[in-house]
Amino acid sequence: MAGYAEGIIVLLSINCIAAMGVSLLTGFTGIFTLGHAAYMALGAYTAAIMTVRYGVHWLPAIVAGGIIAVLVAWLIGIPTLRLTGDYYAIASIGLGEAIRLILENWQSFTRGARGFPGISSYTGRGVAVVFFTILGIGMFNLIESRLGRELKASRDDKVAASLMGFNIPASRMKALLISAFYCGISGALLGGYMNFIQPSMFDMMKSTELTAVVVFGGLGSMSGTLLSSALITWLMEYFRDISQYRMLIYGALLVMIMVLRPEGLLGNREIWSFIPGFRSNTKRRG
Amino acid sequence: MTTLSQQIINGLSLGSVYALIAVGYSLVYSILLFSNFAHGGFLVVGGYACYFLLTQYGFGIWISITGALVASGVVAIITERMAYKPIRDRTSMTLYLMIASMGVSIVIENIFVIVVGGRFRALPQDTFPHDLFNLGGNVTVNSFDILSLIVAVIFLGGLQLFLNRTRWGLAIRAAACNLNTAGLMGVNVPLLISIVFFVAGLLAAVGGIFLSVRYTLYPQLGGTITTKAFVAAVIGGLGSLPGAVVGSLLLGLAEMLTAGFISSQMRDLVVFSMLVIMLLVKPAGFFGKQVSDKI
Amino acid sequence: MKKCLSFLSVFVVFSMFAALPALGADTIRFGEIATVTGDFAAYGTAEVESVKIAVEEINAAGGVLGKHLEVIMYDCRTRQEDMVNAARRLVEQDKVAAVIGPSGSGLCIAATPIFARGKVPHIGTLPTNPLVTVDEQGKVRPYNFRICFLDPYQGRMMAYFAVKDLGLKKAAILYDVSSDYSQGQREFFIDGFKEYGGAIVADEGFRGDDVDFRSQLTNIKDSGADVLIYPFMGKSLPLAVKQARELGIKTVILGGDGYGDFMWEVAGDTLADTYWVSHVDRYDPVLKNFFDKYQQKTGTECQEFMNAVMAYDCVYWLKDAIERAGSDDPQKIRDALESTKGLKLLHAVLTMDEFHNPKDKDGVMLRCDAVQKKALFFKKVRPE
Repeated sequence: MAGYAEGIIVLLSINCIAAMGVSLLTGFTGIFTLGHAAYMALGAYTAAIMTVRYGVHWLPAIVAGGIIAVLVAWLIGIPTLRLTGDYYAIASIGLGEAIRLILENWQSFTRGARGFPGISSYTGRGVAVVFFTILGIGMFNLIESRLGRELKASRDDKVAASLMGFNIPASRMKALLISAFYCGISGALLGGYMNFIQPSMFDMMKSTELTAVVVFGGLGSMSGTLLSSALITWLMEYFRDISQYRMLIYGALLVMIMVLRPEGLLGNREIWSFIPGFRSNTKRRG
Repeated sequence: MTTLSQQIINGLSLGSVYALIAVGYSLVYSILLFSNFAHGGFLVVGGYACYFLLTQYGFGIWISITGALVASGVVAIITERMAYKPIRDRTSMTLYLMIASMGVSIVIENIFVIVVGGRFRALPQDTFPHDLFNLGGNVTVNSFDILSLIVAVIFLGGLQLFLNRTRWGLAIRAAACNLNTAGLMGVNVPLLISIVFFVAGLLAAVGGIFLSVRYTLYPQLGGTITTKAFVAAVIGGLGSLPGAVVGSLLLGLAEMLTAGFISSQMRDLVVFSMLVIMLLVKPAGFFGKQVSDKI
Repeated sequence: MKKCLSFLSVFVVFSMFAALPALGADTIRFGEIATVTGDFAAYGTAEVESVKIAVEEINAAGGVLGKHLEVIMYDCRTRQEDMVNAARRLVEQDKVAAVIGPSGSGLCIAATPIFARGKVPHIGTLPTNPLVTVDEQGKVRPYNFRICFLDPYQGRMMAYFAVKDLGLKKAAILYDVSSDYSQGQREFFIDGFKEYGGAIVADEGFRGDDVDFRSQLTNIKDSGADVLIYPFMGKSLPLAVKQARELGIKTVILGGDGYGDFMWEVAGDTLADTYWVSHVDRYDPVLKNFFDKYQQKTGTECQEFMNAVMAYDCVYWLKDAIERAGSDDPQKIRDALESTKGLKLLHAVLTMDEFHNPKDKDGVMLRCDAVQKKALFFKKVRPE
């Protein structure tokens, strides 16, 4: 049982890291994405190829995974961030699938659709938890920083925010790059946990799951994202035995979340704002 | 030359099936402004309904097809009432609808996995024409392809007539301009939306029956092919019916020509690149409404 | 909304019961992984049913070492990712004595490190790629076994059959780029075919979930090939056969061991005069009892007979190994599996070679008969 519980903790940390990234982009900046699994794929493949083929130590390989994801996000962001609303979401489906298909077709480098085996298990419980803690602290500081306020301002009212002198395109780009970094790291860790990666692991369904987790937690609530990520990871693992029903439950859950609580678990508040007598940071700033 | 003509025929045949599915997407989008990913599920419902009516219950082909059309139309209405309406009543964020629709498509797919199993089925081949025609120079076309093209034209033409010549068609066109205003003008909006979903489900069922004769019927049938149809709808211009048809034929051709002359592994890459490039160059697609506010 | 909530809670409660693993003290538990959903669902379902039959038979006859056999089945959806998860769960949480299945080579290869790390033996039902039991350096993977013959053998067999028996020397290949199984078989076929004096005139790929192969087949049609090679499995097989015939390709079609009777429903009479490699002959009188029992138990005819027979025999092989090991300790079972010699199973006599593959297993060629709508025994082929 110990091995299994450890597995859940690792998986939870990995999912939470990716969800935090998407939460920054979707919940705090208002850019809906349905293609962020592709950045996880980039991170996973970078780390896998570096460690297996070039014998690089896993730590720099994981970081490199995040950096490659950022570089690609930057190249993609320049033309596409102009799009807003549904149109960015649809474009991100296309981009996500395109990245996945490139990985799938570049057989000589990635082994293509057959998947990449033999990754050493560098993601133990310790590594995953440490990465999660560092990135988590970073994220919570970020959303309270000047950039975080800029993002929220541009989400709530673009015109007003730009009148106040915020450089909206620049801050949107920053949000995209940071979210890609988080997803890249998460993907690299996933590779080290699974010992095996395959392009189809990072398809549109995975992207939807990431965004759904953020929406479920509540747009604009980072702790809500973590809470819902934990809940969904646990639920999906819990139902793994009844594999036929598992996907049915997942689908039904997606629908019910949207129908019953579209504002998400915590709305746009952080979890500590619910504790009586505890004045949240957000409130203090008015 | 022979190869080129054969590939073009292959492409048009694939495109005509995409068209039936893409038009359903666009129809829903034109009214509710969201991409209904559950459309693939309606298609699977149609396919299985036709299959079981035909093989298990021994109904004739026409009754089975009618039954399938109605079944998928009804499922579409139920989906709208149970999943989309509550969301529309509470929020104007279309993205919630998009995620919910992905959920619905997963639910429908897996209900079939559980109830009928994952085995590959096909509608009885001899119920449908399958003679080969030789168009000279070793180029062949299956009579079923011709049939599917004709049926696609009939259904899409019928839809056009319905939209242009009937009262409800007028109401739908008005709603496509502005749903709220149409409501204020005395249009029964909930009924109108149900009709739209019924029609979309109907078209999906036709697509589903074609796919399960042409290819094979299985629970995941809705997944891959409808993503392509969705891309076709975006390329043609979401919300535009002629756009959906043009986009579908274009996509069918692009796929077959890429696979035939460049590399079969590149075909999906070409599909999604077309989507992204189209969105960047002309987000409204070839025939879409102006979306100055979207960019 | 209230209704929805109560529906949800009923569902959750129901699922919890379904999710509870059955525990018993006097049982030996082994795991089974099968493709019950996804593209290979037809094959996986046949494996699950026949494993159930074998376990019931063994338990009715007194079990193994006085204990009952119990199987824990997980689905792997034809995806390596789910395969790894299922294997981890069986090895790390359920602590099973051994694992059987699935049939796909790519799936088995993906999970090899899990079995090695957990030190639990694994028997593949039909994974024919060499890398299932040996690693890239050619060293045997200590915890992986298989009951079927291999792709090098199968590929050579197809090449030999095409050249020597049918006299065909210009081959066109259509293969699945997303599958280790398909890529491996293609390579071994090409090697053998060239050695016997044939030439490859067309080589086209597709991706696993594609359903339309007409553009590739159009290219093949113009290549002047006289035999079309199909080294893949699942729904693509009948579709590719049907679409080839529709395009007017009249050449002989020769496929690997992916044949299943389900193909008739999709491809119909276009399957006539296609040839398929098989591990067993469906109409071998020895197997009749088993197939009758299968029909009786499941209410359906056994269409994916290769998978059914192999999975059934895997359970008996495992039973034999546990008995020889005298315990349900995975390590001892592994040693017993490795030293299997002359074990009489339903479809063959099994002896393990040093690479954990069966020694000297024959393949047969089946030929589809349009009148009976069946794949009938054509001949036994042994490549030289």
